[in-house]
Amino acid sequence: MDTNLAIQLIIQGILLGGIYGLIALGLSLIFGVMGVINFAHGQLMVMGMYVSYWIFVLLGIDPYLSLVIVAAVIFVLGYLIQFTVVNRILDYPEAIQVLPLVSMGLILENLALLLWGPDHRSPQTALSLKTLWLGSVMIDVSRLIAFALAISITILIFIFLKKTTIGKRIRAASDNRTGAILVGIDVDRIYNASFALGAATTAAAGVLLLPIMPISPHMGHDFTLTAFIVVILGGMGNLIGALVGGLILGIAESASTLFLPATLKHAVSFTILIIIMLFRPQGLLGGKK
Amino acid sequence: MSKKQFTFEGIDRRTFLKVTGAAGIGLTASTFGVPKLLRAAPQPIKIGSVQPATGPLAVIGVGQRRGNQLAVDYINSKGGIKSMDGAKLELLLGDSESKPEIGRSEADRLIKGGAVVMTGPFQSGVALTISTLCEQRQIPFIMDVAALDKITAKGYKYTFRVFITVTGLLNGAVKYLKMLTDMKGVIPKRAVVTNTADAFGKGMSGGFVKFMEKSGMPIEIVDRVQYPLGIHDLSAEVARIKAAKPDILFPVSRPGDGIILTRELYKQRVELMGIYGPGSPGWYEPDVIRDLDKLIYYVMVNVPWINPKSPVYQQANAAFQKAHERYLDTNSAYAYTGVLVIADILERAASTEPEKILAAARQTNFKDHPVVGGAVQFDEKGDNKGALTALIQVQPDDDLLKRVKIVAPKEFAQSDEIIFPWPQLWDR
Repeated sequence: MDTNLAIQLIIQGILLGGIYGLIALGLSLIFGVMGVINFAHGQLMVMGMYVSYWIFVLLGIDPYLSLVIVAAVIFVLGYLIQFTVVNRILDYPEAIQVLPLVSMGLILENLALLLWGPDHRSPQTALSLKTLWLGSVMIDVSRLIAFALAISITILIFIFLKKTTIGKRIRAASDNRTGAILVGIDVDRIYNASFALGAATTAAAGVLLLPIMPISPHMGHDFTLTAFIVVILGGMGNLIGALVGGLILGIAESASTLFLPATLKHAVSFTILIIIMLFRPQGLLGGKK
Repeated sequence: MSKKQFTFEGIDRRTFLKVTGAAGIGLTASTFGVPKLLRAAPQPIKIGSVQPATGPLAVIGVGQRRGNQLAVDYINSKGGIKSMDGAKLELLLGDSESKPEIGRSEADRLIKGGAVVMTGPFQSGVALTISTLCEQRQIPFIMDVAALDKITAKGYKYTFRVFITVTGLLNGAVKYLKMLTDMKGVIPKRAVVTNTADAFGKGMSGGFVKFMEKSGMPIEIVDRVQYPLGIHDLSAEVARIKAAKPDILFPVSRPGDGIILTRELYKQRVELMGIYGPGSPGWYEPDVIRDLDKLIYYVMVNVPWINPKSPVYQQANAAFQKAHERYLDTNSAYAYTGVLVIADILERAASTEPEKILAAARQTNFKDHPVVGGAVQFDEKGDNKGALTALIQVQPDDDLLKRVKIVAPKEFAQSDEIIFPWPQLWDR
């Protein structure tokens, strides 16, 4: 086996895994707080990518610089979705909850199709072709930045939930909804904020992906699925689990290219998913509930 | 300015009656005086078009629809089908969502909605399902784009293809590659073939590998890298390509993956003599040309292509640009041609009965089309005998839309020069 190739693939897997982790973080957060699986997750990410694309093309602001603005825009969008739709379906059976969110995903997807057309857009940003070389091993700068920011954002969210008052309220509402209401927390608003935060993190992940892959309106679905696998892998509702799950999936997908045709990439992810479901249904880092 | 101009002060009752009375008589006369035209307005002829308007191939699918529609509008503006009292064409739209099973159900829906001829569907996988359906329903299926040979190999009576077959594409690919290496006196020794793992991608690249073996050219195919349709990341695949140390890359791609592939080749510093596409999209779309800029220079693709010198193309392209602010690319031009061929067949059939349409289709000899190739004539299988590929190369030009140039065959060529081997991606 070519060691150089193996090292190259593992590095690429780790870098991609960090972003997978960030995409999944929002899904995990939303599930952890409300017990709702956000099936519009990937589409929210794509919306983030398009907003960032717009800012880049119209104003010439690099995606890394527009990250905060994009996150804020999608935060508002997430807040509205929770406020108008999700808060009303929280008490419904899980199977029913799926439908409004899948519909929301379809609406967002087709909205993107309407606004930006079906083309693959891939603007060349300042850093999108930059690389670092360690001997004969290449490190893609935009992936490295994406990885570093993904890890930082995950840590920030973690600290936010542990240390700030709103963070504590979110955890309280997640732990025991009735209890939280009894001590005077406005649970609906906390839910709005949580969904918005989840949406904002996935939008941030989208922005980080913009220099790496072309955007098209229909790519959201794939990422909802990826995020879902990562979250199950790491443990539903566990934020560190999302990061670990992302890394495992990233490395597995990348390294599998050594032995298997790339067409089996998805098969690799799903095989890992099935193995985890069989032997550790609560996920790698999930507690027993 | 006096106020009078804006009021009816100057008009008395008599003048008013005279004017409106005359207008009334005029209108009545024009309505009842030529009643034949109005009463005999023939029913529109419905053409069903199933294209991948959403899903991973949406870029192409939307373009295909636009091509179909543009031709329908053109025929209607010229007075419709004259042999059928100027009957207008009407396009019924179906969306295969880039999936064969959905393509079939959409075609079924359009046939139930009154389509007398079907066209589309861009994807070979979809064409396989629709051709079977059309055979059952006895509805002529004039495919605008779809290349797999086996679609017309089943002996179906109702299936015709305006596009080229995979065999035709591959013949062109090998022919132009030989021409290129002879002309330049350099032969790449090691090659990697890549493809998307859909029906067309697999069939095309598998066929290309076989054709290369048969061709006797001393090019060894050292690896074949396949990846799913709609992939978002090719870093691992390109790492594998680099490890295979190829001199040339033969990609069978779809929109989107060409961009990812080229950028990864740049980042991972894969040294090549060039990229030579045996025949697939992903390398010549305006968005790709714009986004990749210098990186896509000197990429060559063997492909059924538009004929920029033909007046039909120039006219259609002007209308297309006006409507959609982009040029009429090869796929949309084939979609346009498909409907023109259908209109020509209907004109000669002078009927919407399937048997008459079939008889007219077999006699087709249609020259006024906007693509590279001879007159459209169908052989016994329903394939177009006039279909031909061109070799195109992306070359530097200040005008983005003029960067894709035909370099062979000679009679269609827009540039005399072919650049091969290319300057490495990072040396530009």
